[in-house]
Amino acid sequence: MFRFVLRRLAYLLPVWIGISLVAFMLANLAPGDPARLALQRELGRQPTAEETAVVREQMGLNDAAPIRYLNWLGDALTGDLGTSYRTGQPVLDSLADRFPTTLQIAGFGLLLAIAIAIPLGILAAVYRQGPIDHFSRVIALLGASMPSYWVAYLLILLLSVRLGWLPVAGSQTWQHAVMPALTLGIGGSASLMRLTRSEMLETLNQDYIRTARAKGLGSRPLMLGHALRNTMIPLSTVLGMRFAGMLGGAVIVETIFSWPGIGKLVVDAIFDRDYPMIQGFVIFMGTAFLLINLIVDLGYGVIDPRIRLARR
Amino acid sequence: MRRVSSEINRRTLLLATGAAGITVRFGRSATAQETPSGSARVGVGEDGYRVDERANVGFYPLNTNIFESLVYMTPDYQIEPRLAESWEFVEPGTWRIVLRQGVVFHDGTPFTAEAVKYTMDRIAANGGGVLGVGPDSTVIVDDFTVEITPTYVNMRMMEQIGHPNNSILPPGLNPAESRNGTGPFREVEYVAADHYSVEANADYWGDAPGVSGITFQFYPDPTARLLALQAGDADLIVDVPAQSADQVEAAGATLLRGPVGSYEAMYFQIKGEAPYDLGQDPAVREAVSIAIDRQQVIDSAWQGNAEPGTTMIPPAILGDSASLVAAPEFDPERARQLLEEAGWVEGEGGVREKDGRALALTIINGFATAADHGSVPELIQAQLGYIGIELEIIQTPDTATYEQRLTVGEGDLWLERGSQNDGNPAFLPELLFSTPEEGGDPEATAYGRAFAPGEAFDTEIARSREATDIAEVQEAAAQAMNIVINEERIVIPLCGFYRLVGHSEAVTSFDLHASGVNQLWTSLTMAE
Repeated sequence: MFRFVLRRLAYLLPVWIGISLVAFMLANLAPGDPARLALQRELGRQPTAEETAVVREQMGLNDAAPIRYLNWLGDALTGDLGTSYRTGQPVLDSLADRFPTTLQIAGFGLLLAIAIAIPLGILAAVYRQGPIDHFSRVIALLGASMPSYWVAYLLILLLSVRLGWLPVAGSQTWQHAVMPALTLGIGGSASLMRLTRSEMLETLNQDYIRTARAKGLGSRPLMLGHALRNTMIPLSTVLGMRFAGMLGGAVIVETIFSWPGIGKLVVDAIFDRDYPMIQGFVIFMGTAFLLINLIVDLGYGVIDPRIRLARR
Repeated sequence: MRRVSSEINRRTLLLATGAAGITVRFGRSATAQETPSGSARVGVGEDGYRVDERANVGFYPLNTNIFESLVYMTPDYQIEPRLAESWEFVEPGTWRIVLRQGVVFHDGTPFTAEAVKYTMDRIAANGGGVLGVGPDSTVIVDDFTVEITPTYVNMRMMEQIGHPNNSILPPGLNPAESRNGTGPFREVEYVAADHYSVEANADYWGDAPGVSGITFQFYPDPTARLLALQAGDADLIVDVPAQSADQVEAAGATLLRGPVGSYEAMYFQIKGEAPYDLGQDPAVREAVSIAIDRQQVIDSAWQGNAEPGTTMIPPAILGDSASLVAAPEFDPERARQLLEEAGWVEGEGGVREKDGRALALTIINGFATAADHGSVPELIQAQLGYIGIELEIIQTPDTATYEQRLTVGEGDLWLERGSQNDGNPAFLPELLFSTPEEGGDPEATAYGRAFAPGEAFDTEIARSREATDIAEVQEAAAQAMNIVINEERIVIPLCGFYRLVGHSEAVTSFDLHASGVNQLWTSLTMAE
């Protein structure tokens, strides 16, 4: 197990170098001078040539692109991901500042998605073509067809404007996290619900389920102990990927709710050609995907001991 | 949590999915009030402050009057003393400035010439700005007198120095770490990207603020900002989008419409290479300039919350000379006739042709963003279609892509929005349309290479730079605008945008400035 984890962690270094190189090349191929863009935003006007020259020097943009990449890589290997062109803060600090806030809504959002999707998905499979199945299908269809900004505005209208229960936007109290998490959770639950249903149906048709039922096993232990446990293998894969996606892709939710997360940070960085921040972000997301996949892989062994034994 | 309205109706739902008292000033005079009323919650746009050596107090968060400049630009774009009491130009290129006495920074440090020198040296270290100050430009004469000699003779320095970017800092202050100014408000708390709280400065040298404090809450999304007003989370919101301004009143709040401070215009490229060379034909430029129905654009795209553009800068800044500039009058029949006379005859599908070439133009929409222009490109496409011009609309995903296209000249018409934030009437025309130096940086000279009309324009701009009398500056700037708008038809003004603010009944007065960064928050008062 330990060697397995070490081997997977060793993948991180080539992954980091590969994705940072791709990100660097893509960012540098995109049109626009980061110095001019930064000054336009800061000054509210077109900058003069002199101002641009000073900032280009400050940003180190006068060096050739390969030199800049190698300099960045050298610093990155020592833990320094550079300084953001846009905010002037160290990239690592910015990501570290923003990560917990994103983690909050992504975590709550995922839990909410699980809480909605898995029970409804199981019930839909067990009572196939019954009222619960039809109801869950409608819920899943609604969840999948409503874009997140629409859900966000509807939640604000209901919970802030009409009921006055929650603040519209901000990040200072736990109440501020409720609507962003709800928006992510509702969006994430639709496909998860359908996947749970289809996987459960498939599992329920397996011979060992029929055998267990024939041996007189009760409905609850059969569903929870046998059917659901086997369904959890594909579900945990999807959950892991969805969680990683939520960590980096909640930009619309973060913008509407003024939630200072990583998604908004990186979209702003892309618009401003903030190369260090873009590269820092891809490193961060690459790491997040790899670690989450590792946790999911380890989870397989917990869910299904045969996998753990096979690894040995 | 207080609610302004508790109904979810169709209008509200429309607001969510897509997005009065109409005076510049309303209520009692804030400055006449002796005791500040309660605190206010103001919904503002995105927090764009940066915390490094380039920290720009002019936009600190959205200019909250922590800092002050030497002069102040009034809502009608005139200059009045602020931390400077008086100034004079000393030949050949020096401004001697006498400073206000008895002013202290929020931490009790007296305001003296040292602060002005520190501030100007900091600007010089970042390239000198539009002031053109260098490391040796600022000399202290005595505690309350400084002399500033820009690196070139800058007769417009005092109109430019009022921009909040040039606000005065106490010696040694790094505004990335703390904010300590002389302004009417002092900082209480800054939580980046969330909120910014200020309180009235009891020791302020000028008129006292009308509220005890203000909390500025950042709402990057304009619809969320509007919903915050509706939910009672904000007493006042700024930068209401023109296309959804009517939703403020639909939400039970009041819409306050300020003077024009920003514009929308199209620029015609006159030096492009094929296939973007049709702008070289004066008849095509003139026909396009009179084929645009500005009022229809305003009514359809901006719900009436703008006025027909006459120049690309707020007319107020031109003073009496504003009457010298008028946008070409809408006359589509004349436009058709002009094209006929120039040999552009109707071809298949109603698109005109000449020597086998279709009269097809490309408009680039993306400055500052494509979303800033709403449905304007489609309206222009329809209006030009009526006179037989085919218009392809290209939306760029961001400013950088827009500027890159401009740098390589790939487009005929360029749709832009901009604003005027200092008192120099010739600033924007000079920046955008002056003839560039040969061999300059391609991006920095892109506007000039695409649009510069040439010597006559440059002469007027030079006159505006050198004049001592502001009336002469205004007249020269107006003549320069005439060249690009009426003589050469390079600039086609579309709209002048009103500044729009929404507020609840808790707000009792607020004087709205045309320029957002020059907004004085001292005028805001709240019900007891």
